[in-house]
Amino acid sequence: MPQPGTGLPPMRTVLEYPYTRTTGPVMGAFLTGIRDGRLLGGRIGERVVCPPLEYEPGTGAPAGLDLVDLGPGGTVSSWTWVREPTATHPFRHPFAFALIVPDGASSGFPHVVDAGSPERMSTGMRVTARFKEQRRGSITDLWFVPEEDGARAAPPVEGGDPVTLAEQPVSLTYVEPYHPHRVRFLNGLLEGVITGQRSPVTGKVYVPGRGYDHLERTLMTEEHDVAVSGRGSVSSFTEITPVQYHGQKETEPYIRASILLDGSDSPITGVDIRTIPLSEFRVGLRLRAVWRPAGERDVSAFDNRSTGGWEGVIERWEPTGEPDADSRALEEHAF
Amino acid sequence: MSTNPRPVAVVATSLTPAYTAFEGPEAALVMTCVNELLESTGLRREELEFTIAGSCDYLGGTPFSFVMNLEGVGAWPPVYESHVEMDGAWALSEAWLRLQCGDVDTALVVGSGRASSGRPREVFALQTDPYTMAPLGADPVSLAGLQARALLDSGKATEADFAAAAARALPATSGVSIEELLKADYWCDPLRAHDVAAPADGAAALILVAGDRARELPGEPVWLTGMDHRIESHHLGLRDLTDSPSARLAAKGAGAHDGPVDIAELMVVHSPEETILRTALGLGGETVINPSGGPLAGNPVMATGLARVVEVVRRIAAGEARRGLAHASSGPCLQQNLVAVLEGEH
Repeated sequence: MPQPGTGLPPMRTVLEYPYTRTTGPVMGAFLTGIRDGRLLGGRIGERVVCPPLEYEPGTGAPAGLDLVDLGPGGTVSSWTWVREPTATHPFRHPFAFALIVPDGASSGFPHVVDAGSPERMSTGMRVTARFKEQRRGSITDLWFVPEEDGARAAPPVEGGDPVTLAEQPVSLTYVEPYHPHRVRFLNGLLEGVITGQRSPVTGKVYVPGRGYDHLERTLMTEEHDVAVSGRGSVSSFTEITPVQYHGQKETEPYIRASILLDGSDSPITGVDIRTIPLSEFRVGLRLRAVWRPAGERDVSAFDNRSTGGWEGVIERWEPTGEPDADSRALEEHAF
Repeated sequence: MSTNPRPVAVVATSLTPAYTAFEGPEAALVMTCVNELLESTGLRREELEFTIAGSCDYLGGTPFSFVMNLEGVGAWPPVYESHVEMDGAWALSEAWLRLQCGDVDTALVVGSGRASSGRPREVFALQTDPYTMAPLGADPVSLAGLQARALLDSGKATEADFAAAAARALPATSGVSIEELLKADYWCDPLRAHDVAAPADGAAALILVAGDRARELPGEPVWLTGMDHRIESHHLGLRDLTDSPSARLAAKGAGAHDGPVDIAELMVVHSPEETILRTALGLGGETVINPSGGPLAGNPVMATGLARVVEVVRRIAAGEARRGLAHASSGPCLQQNLVAVLEGEH
């Protein structure tokens, strides 16, 4: 749904990181146990703690690796009924988080109980572990159900090496309206105009505007907006050789440039150049924007933060043929 | 901590509203606070010798947002800067320690956050144990529900106590009674929606000055006479969720009980925490708890703890109290607790 009065949809960002962590010997043994359908605790003095710890919780002294088979039954020592699961909870339907003391353990640990309704939950109730058929050695390979739903042996998993790595894909979604100065900037781009903001203190023009002058600590509003030229001088550039990582879409080298537009005091940055050979590209080179046709401009790659996304509205930048700008005068506009 | 810390005072405070959704960038929130602080003290930004902020990049989903936030302080000339990926109250702790070194006399402390863009429950689940809790999405509200249940089962609190804490955060004009609150549906049983502080956008900031310099500036200095923070196990099963030994230790370390505590601002983000904290901090009937309404009335995430300090300072400076306690917490079920003790000049 468009942001009221702007014509722009709210910006949506998904941050995804595939975290991989080494487990160490104790957590590795615990996760290997889960993969093999066993719930393990660690003996520390008189106590049996689940999950096992690498150290004495009171003193920090190494605890050694003295593993004990626990469960699959257990007792709930506290619980809460989650009526609105988040996107990262194990179930899409309401369930309980509970502190569960597995049979054979001295204390509880937090996990989930798929009980169907809160009426079936109570402190002191008995639960039993259920294991997924496909297990890779993760805390999410099991869950608990009320014991009356019946114990069920863990489906066997064929062999396998000890678990030494824990993989956790993290995905977080953010949705927010564009900031007011950003709305004006983006709507300008859709009309083929690059909008900056002129500081009321120094007269310097920043492109895009930030909604404030970050040097003079002055907030700026619509009255400070100014249109700047679609022509400018390369103030800095680098050749990017794409490294393959999670989410990388680029495969071929390309140029990423900063361009100081005429009439401004700060360069636009993160401009992709794909039609000018690296051998011809240089600081001081004069360029002009070749806009995409009005109906084909797309600002969705711009967010509230980065300055990337120009390629959605500007098809390419081409040399104007003018003499180069003085590269030394551009030194302070590298970024 | 030394028993004779260098005298350090809060000389100015600033607090933005707790916005449901602030329309501008986080740096603008910071800038608003910094400009207000400089204006009220007459200090130039260059006179602030140390700058430290508390914020969370994951909260707003902007990598390196803590660097961008420095634009709110002024990008030039460069500042001598530090940052904690924690509530601004922990930035205050580091600033206070930094001033104890003796070579720096002034510090700017900021806490800021924009919670409205993301889903804080999912973000803060990532602060839990990465092997055994984070993959389950163990979020602060659900874990607070476990703590609330443990309190009820222990007999240390009732659901009416939770509702009473929530009711105190409502404006006096709201006319909502405890009985009415108890009729609301559960959200994370036994928590109801009003038991949980809604995450908001906002910033808090203050200026710390050491020694006699504090008296040369306009307004009444409020002295930070003690500060401590302590943490408990990340393993929930090893904790007594109905108590807060870390808060108790922090209060002792900060010298909270060396004199009467007229007011206390407690970081009660989930209403059951008030019962636990009152007991652990040893606060009796003579102490007014959360005169501001506390976080249940406004929860600018990453600034909420520092805002507790600001609220206490302002009441002492206004002569409403002589000595007060500010508390901040971090992590699930009050895992980590910070206590600052503040006293007026007279």
